[in-house]
Amino acid sequence: MNGKLRVDGMRVAYGRREILRGVDFTLGEGEMAALLGLNASGKTTLLRAVCGLIPLNGGDCLINGRGYLQSDERRRARLISYLPQRHSRLYDLSVMDVVLMGFNPHISLLASPGKREREASLEALDHLGMKDHAGEDFSLLSEGQKQLVLLARALVQDTGLLLLDEPDSALDYPNRHRVLSLLRNLLKEDGRSALITLHDPNFALAYCDKLLMLRDGLIVRDQAVSGSGAGELRDCLSLVFGAVDVIESRGRFVMLKA
Amino acid sequence: MNRPIARGRAAFITVLVLTAAAFFLSLLTGKYPIPPGDVFRLIAGGDSGGLAGEVFRTLRLPRTVAALLAGFGLGMAGFVYQTVFKNPLASPDIIGVASGANLGAAAAIVLSGTSAAAVTGGALAGSLLAVALVTALVRVSRLNTTATYILAGIVITSLAKALIMALKYFADEGNDLAAIEFWTMGSFGGVTPARLTAILPLFFAGILGLLLLRRQIGLMALGDDESRMLGVRLGVVRAAVLGCSTAVVASVISVTGLITFVGLVSPHIARLILKRSNFSACLFSGLAGGALLLLADSLARTLYRSELPVSILTTVVGVPFLVYFMHRNRRRVL
Repeated sequence: MNGKLRVDGMRVAYGRREILRGVDFTLGEGEMAALLGLNASGKTTLLRAVCGLIPLNGGDCLINGRGYLQSDERRRARLISYLPQRHSRLYDLSVMDVVLMGFNPHISLLASPGKREREASLEALDHLGMKDHAGEDFSLLSEGQKQLVLLARALVQDTGLLLLDEPDSALDYPNRHRVLSLLRNLLKEDGRSALITLHDPNFALAYCDKLLMLRDGLIVRDQAVSGSGAGELRDCLSLVFGAVDVIESRGRFVMLKA
Repeated sequence: MNRPIARGRAAFITVLVLTAAAFFLSLLTGKYPIPPGDVFRLIAGGDSGGLAGEVFRTLRLPRTVAALLAGFGLGMAGFVYQTVFKNPLASPDIIGVASGANLGAAAAIVLSGTSAAAVTGGALAGSLLAVALVTALVRVSRLNTTATYILAGIVITSLAKALIMALKYFADEGNDLAAIEFWTMGSFGGVTPARLTAILPLFFAGILGLLLLRRQIGLMALGDDESRMLGVRLGVVRAAVLGCSTAVVASVISVTGLITFVGLVSPHIARLILKRSNFSACLFSGLAGGALLLLADSLARTLYRSELPVSILTTVVGVPFLVYFMHRNRRRVL
């Protein structure tokens, strides 16, 4: 399984207001990239456009060299898992029911998930520390727990590319590290790629292979983390966050407000 | 067995027993008394001979079967509408089914008198036409979203209501106006074996479609983006699900007239008892609707010297159920 993504000259507008003005970037096999930008810079719009949820005014997206935006939802859901920033309100559904939804693109329209899918769901929940909650009502979980369950759903969807819109926004500090570390390991293991929007650049520096800086509707810098020096990373992050400093501590980079 | 599964099984057994009891009660109820022993014999295929057998076969049994199927269909369709539109108050009229049927029935009454076949045909054609127009409006708008369906439903419902008012204005006050009004209150009085048989193919086609699309219906409880990215071909699936639920509702109300409250209250009873909103709850909603409507129709035939409209009774019977479950689960309702 792989999900090499190439975005070429992507343009998206809401009415006359152009949000993305020719976005270009690539995402390699097994690569985890952070999409960083200020509020209203178009991060969510970019993810939705890559998913094919909003029409492009120009440009194209390719996975493994093939255009997919014209495919129907079922085919696209076999290529891309998407975790939206705000999930739907669901009532009276068990955690297991919610995770099993992730198998929908892989089982025939009229069939139901069976024992194999249930076992795989439990395994995904176990990875995220939520196995003991499988029978509980999803709506009664905390927001952080819900985020972990939805991540488990995205994982069982078993796609080459994961698009995650602030997957850590409701997680506490240890769970943020746990989830991002788990994602990074999974991607390396099976060659999946992920594009993640994050608000805290320090988590991006700690776990992502590269940073995509979104400003004024363009990717203004595509910067690899490993192999870069603190100065290069500071220049990169300054493009979006203004006056910042980047220091190296015990082999890791940390961004500080200058 | 864990507790939720055991509770679910107990609830299903209870509702099945209640539905069976209501079915038997309905077979016993009516102007012409048929003793329970005769009813058992007739069900087993025996013949009690004479008038009792004739009443049972031509009136009592078709009416009871119709009430069971109507309740089951309205309960299931109500659950589907509430799931698809993510609205706990959604009913068949949200996309104009009931208003279309009402207009079709009113037109048939004014144009052809009170011919039962014409009214059934008119109501069926009206409801299907209304949903076809809603779908066409959604296509014209090029915005295939849940909200567009609701807006298009409001447009078609308003148009149908205006036309119904015009028909009422020009209707003959003596017969037609009363017939139009009576149709909106619902009744199983006009059910005959022939009319029941005529709508069964459409009814069962709709139910079968909903059974087959059960997993997609569950996924439609999600927001549009989420369900699409889980592989739901939303445009096609939504049209198919609404088509199936429309077939169920249209086939029922074309024979019975408008039956209120069953499609609204049964899904809530199912969710409050099972504490689940999956397809099992949809089936439970159908069974609860069947029991409720059988009970309401039995009361409609016995409470007064002439038969009462069944929609009065569905509300009277349904409200206490809902209030009881709301009280028992008051922390979960809001």
